[in-house]
Amino acid sequence: MHKGKLTLKILLILLATDFLETFTHFCFKKSALPESGFMISGFQDALIFIKSVASSGFLWLGLTSVLLTFIIWSTVLSKIDLSVAVPVCSFSYILVPLVSVILLHEKVSALRWAGISFILVGIILVSLSTKKDKTVIT
Amino acid sequence: MKVSLTFIMLLIISTSICDTISQLFLKTSINSLNASITSIKKIFGFIIRLALIPKVWIGFIFSCLSLFIWLFVLSKADLNFAFSLDSMHYIFIALASSLILKEKVESKRWVGTILVVLGIILVTLSGS
Repeated sequence: MHKGKLTLKILLILLATDFLETFTHFCFKKSALPESGFMISGFQDALIFIKSVASSGFLWLGLTSVLLTFIIWSTVLSKIDLSVAVPVCSFSYILVPLVSVILLHEKVSALRWAGISFILVGIILVSLSTKKDKTVIT
Repeated sequence: MKVSLTFIMLLIISTSICDTISQLFLKTSINSLNASITSIKKIFGFIIRLALIPKVWIGFIFSCLSLFIWLFVLSKADLNFAFSLDSMHYIFIALASSLILKEKVESKRWVGTILVVLGIILVTLSGS
């Protein structure tokens, strides 16, 4: 069994998947953005929508990043619990606002800082909950 | 055709459920391999063995389904709203992990998960 502890190495790898995931979401939003006014009322419209999204380079960049994420993610899951890996991956919710601050010079409200601290404390608690399982690694 | 808010909310919850199902299929497959990955080289063998398990592909289909619904949601709804509601999937994952995968989700992990969900709701709603 590999119900391993969340080590610094795994934490860093998870952080890398988070960067990739943030990048993926950015790509997907970019690919769907030109269609924001699009009304899908039937199968024909759905086809046109999919065609338009698929012709965007951003969709394919996003999909490549999904594949890479899958490889890293599976490797991580072979080492730790799903109920640990998933919440720890919420780092992207801290990364996205930080990127917005640095690149887009957005202001961060007190509410947002509160949310960021909630997520951080939550991740720390989830990480600490893995410490007891040390003994089962064979 | 105007898409109602309730419909969008239902769609977002379905992406969360599809995501959870796909993660469950993936994690059970990985558990069944019982692999120990110690080097980069071993990752390739691991991924190939993983890709040969049908369950992984069932998970992949759910993942695609989730992606298509998500793409549609993104073209309709506000990104902040969509992400805040999507945070429910942390709860689904924790529930499924303890009930189906029999992972020991103790109180510390539950509190941490719930804090993460609350934090995400605060972060995403503060942006709208």
